[in-house]
Amino acid sequence: MEEIAHQLAPILEQITGYIYPNEIELHWRILIVVYPYITGLVAGAFILASLVKVFNVREVQPTYRLSLLTALAFLIVAPLPLLAHIGHPEKSLEIFLTPNFSSAMAMFGFIYAWYLMAVLLLEIWFDYRRDLIIWAKNEKGLMKWIHRIFTLFSTDTSERAVRFDKRSIKAITIVGIPSAFLLHGYVGFIFGSVKANPWWSSVLMPIVFLFSAIVSGIALVLLIYMVVTLVRGKEINMACLDKLAGYLFYTMIIDFSLEALDFIHRLYESEESIEILSQLISGRLFVSLIVIQLLLGMILPLAGLSSVKLFRVPAELRRHIYFVSALLVQVGIFTTRWNVVIGGQLFSKSFRGLTAYKMSLGGVEGLLVSLGFLILPFIVLYILVKIFPPWQEAKQP
Amino acid sequence: MKDISFLAKWAKKFWKKVPDQVVRLSIPILILIIGFIVMRNLLVPSDFGKYGHFRAAAIDELVSQEIQYSEHEMCFECHDDVVKAKNMSYHRGVECEVCHGPAAAHIEDPEGNQLPAPRERGYCPLCHEYLPSRPTGFPQIVSESHNPFRACVSCHDAHDPKPPTVPKECEACHAEIARTKALSHHVYISCIRCHKTPKEHNIRPRAHRPEKPSTREFCGECHDEKAPSAKGVPRVNMETHGERYVCWQCHYPHLPEAH
Ligand code: HEC
Ligand code: HEC
Ligand code: HEC
Ligand code: HEC
Ligand code: HEC
Ligand code: HEC
Ligand code: HEC
Ligand code: HEC
Repeated sequence: MEEIAHQLAPILEQITGYIYPNEIELHWRILIVVYPYITGLVAGAFILASLVKVFNVREVQPTYRLSLLTALAFLIVAPLPLLAHIGHPEKSLEIFLTPNFSSAMAMFGFIYAWYLMAVLLLEIWFDYRRDLIIWAKNEKGLMKWIHRIFTLFSTDTSERAVRFDKRSIKAITIVGIPSAFLLHGYVGFIFGSVKANPWWSSVLMPIVFLFSAIVSGIALVLLIYMVVTLVRGKEINMACLDKLAGYLFYTMIIDFSLEALDFIHRLYESEESIEILSQLISGRLFVSLIVIQLLLGMILPLAGLSSVKLFRVPAELRRHIYFVSALLVQVGIFTTRWNVVIGGQLFSKSFRGLTAYKMSLGGVEGLLVSLGFLILPFIVLYILVKIFPPWQEAKQP
Repeated sequence: MKDISFLAKWAKKFWKKVPDQVVRLSIPILILIIGFIVMRNLLVPSDFGKYGHFRAAAIDELVSQEIQYSEHEMCFECHDDVVKAKNMSYHRGVECEVCHGPAAAHIEDPEGNQLPAPRERGYCPLCHEYLPSRPTGFPQIVSESHNPFRACVSCHDAHDPKPPTVPKECEACHAEIARTKALSHHVYISCIRCHKTPKEHNIRPRAHRPEKPSTREFCGECHDEKAPSAKGVPRVNMETHGERYVCWQCHYPHLPEAH
């Protein structure tokens, strides 16, 4: 008894009020914050790419291939935090071999595989096929073989074949948009369907997740585009940038309205959980929700972007505003995920107490590993860009 | 003969029309599908899904595990006195094997497999130590102050644990309320001033329930402006204060607070 008391004493400091014993420690930690963040970026980047093909938005053409590769790089990394969190990655195969249709979590494998293979890879293949053939013709050594293998040894660059490519891309994109919605809406669904948790349980959850995903995806492509053009020493295409920032602005407004709607709805309903949730917001989540997510991640970038719309701002300054806004949006969306995942576990289901989350530095569930997972997609993207240069100049006439 | 050559020709023509891309893509897709089917056949146990979403053989594996536990009806054969006593007591809901451990082997060979009996004092507080989250009415003690240093079984029969003497204080069973009241403004009001309690309640509490105040006027006996209670008692206007609600919708009677 003495011994237990000694072990408990430091843990009890992180608790206020009454809490069930199994709620003291959080089970979904930083890795589960990283996972919806990354999947969100995938869906967002893909939807941006679809704008070019489906809605024929000419201006953002320079980012089309870049968005596709970004989506692919992040999609490859997306399940890794999950696998690290659950452990036994070799068993992940079983969800494909013995599918359990009544489990939303188990269905993720299929949604993921569908999205990866039927949408992203196919679209990239069709889009690059002709260029790959031409590149391979003029190359030697390893790169020639890599490119040839990726074309599946196809050599047909005839008018008819290219026309078929184009039509396929359009068809895939049309299938792809609902698929991207599914991919990230699914993540929101997982949280929204936890009946016992009033912070999560909301039908709006999938939609809020989706729009924050689009916001983060657009902001990410904008950032990557700016940095990469800078590194390559090229001129930034201002029309493209303005268009991207415009989309960012409008989706942010939708996202903001949805989140406000969710918030007001909760306030108006005032279910029995409202007491503890308001304690949560005004206490443990104050900095991450009000200061970072709302002020830094939403209001400030919105103000920046709308000032560009309202006043005549010189291009140089515009670029700075876009860059800083997009960066803030990334921070904001990451804390959005944090506030959902971590926030939902900070209060007791008895609605009478709160616990705290202390992140560890090392270990699988620690900060360093999560940072690794956040950096990894950029390394993958670097490799992808080396193999499939997305630049306009690389495109064969 | 003529028809078939026509068909072959037609197929050839059709095949030429299929875009090159589709042909090439169909190869990896075919490999994937075949790979999936092969993997499914190789890796999924053949009896999977026979009864549900699991391996049917898992049931046999579970069945083949050694049985550790028995059941209290099995004890009756040799310990009928204990079983009978326990079934009449407050411990009727507590299984023999909760306290004595798995007993399957004991039933096979009682002398060869003696069961332990938890006689030490530390054991019973696992269930009976005072905890605010335990329901009111569940018998709880604070073991540090409840007849310390003596084994519980020296006063309570484990199979019929009713206290050796009928508890006189309500605190023996309503520890949380008593503790709360002890710190409140109502500390000097005894429980029975507000709850008329039949004597039998202390013996069979669920069968004989005490009364609970049910009207505003009850509290008014002391708190009404005209009540004949002591001078220090705070007064309220019974007509206007709290309107038509009973007082304990706002004041917890065991810890009344006004400020
Ligand atoms: C086949 C008859 C038989 C059955 C059935 C049986 N017991 Fe026993 N039990 C005995 C005998 C005989 C002894 C005395 C052994 C000795 O003293 O060496 C005993 C002794 C005990 C003791 C004494 C331990 C002590 O320290 O004094 C306990 C406890 C006990 N049994 C529990 C149980 C429980 C619980 C069950 C039912 C799950 C059970 N027994 C079923 C025959 C039986
Ligand atoms: C709450 C815990 C508890 C439960 C439940 C319990 N016992 Fe016991 N039992 C004890 C303890 C403690 C002793 C030792 C008593 C002593 O030494 O005074 C004991 C002693 C015994 C003994 C040996 C002494 C005696 O009184 O004959 C037998 C036999 C026994 N128990 C059988 C049973 C059987 C059969 C059941 C189920 C019907 C049962 N017990 C349920 C705690 C329990
Ligand atoms: C000296 C004898 C004695 C010992 C030793 C003893 N008790 Fe008691 N116990 C009593 C008496 C007498 C009462 C009646 C209430 C009162 O007067 O406090 C009682 C009451 C209780 C009650 C409340 C009864 C009810 O109906 O709610 C519980 C529970 C209890 N004891 C458990 C234990 C436990 C557990 C131990 C061992 C840690 C233990 N007792 C040790 C004598 C004893
Ligand atoms: C597995 C949990 C458990 C263990 C262990 C346990 N009890 Fe109990 N005890 C209960 C339950 C359940 C009740 C009945 C409560 C009720 O009906 O409200 C009870 C009731 C009692 C009562 C109240 C009887 C009355 O007449 O008011 C006493 C005293 C008691 N136990 C003493 C003991 C002692 C002594 C031990 C150790 C030998 C012990 N208990 C071990 C669960 C347990
Ligand atoms: C032997 C243990 C025991 C003692 C001693 C005891 N009670 Fe109880 N009391 C109980 C139990 C058990 C209940 C039922 C709790 C439940 O059903 O939730 C209860 C219920 C009550 C209730 C609620 C009745 C209702 O209908 O909701 C009141 C009031 C109460 N007790 C007052 C007292 C007072 C006053 C005393 C002292 C004079 C006292 N009790 C002594 C065990 C006890
Ligand atoms: C000032 C009057 C007053 C005193 C003194 C008082 N009670 Fe009560 N008690 C009430 C009232 C009024 C209720 C009814 C509350 C309700 O119906 O919601 C109540 C309800 C209860 C209940 C049932 C509800 C519950 O909280 O579990 C129990 C048990 C109880 N009292 C026990 C006690 C015991 C034991 C004491 C002495 C330690 C005590 N009371 C002293 C006024 C009093
Ligand atoms: C037997 C007389 C008596 C009865 C009956 C009684 N009270 Fe009291 N009450 C007192 C006394 C005496 C005090 C003040 C004690 C002190 O502060 O010195 C008090 C204080 C209070 C206070 C003020 C606490 C504060 O923070 O100053 C409230 C509120 C209260 N009682 C509510 C109630 C309610 C509700 C009931 C009915 C369930 C009730 N009382 C029944 C005697 C009584
Ligand atoms: C609607 C809620 C409500 C109800 C019902 C209610 N009270 Fe109060 N009571 C309060 C509040 C709030 C205060 C403190 C503010 C004040 O002094 O008015 C208070 C204060 C008191 C005080 C302390 C006054 C003082 O001067 O310190 C007493 C005594 C009291 N109430 C008794 C009662 C009694 C008796 C009843 C039932 C007839 C009752 N209350 C019903 C809300 C309520």
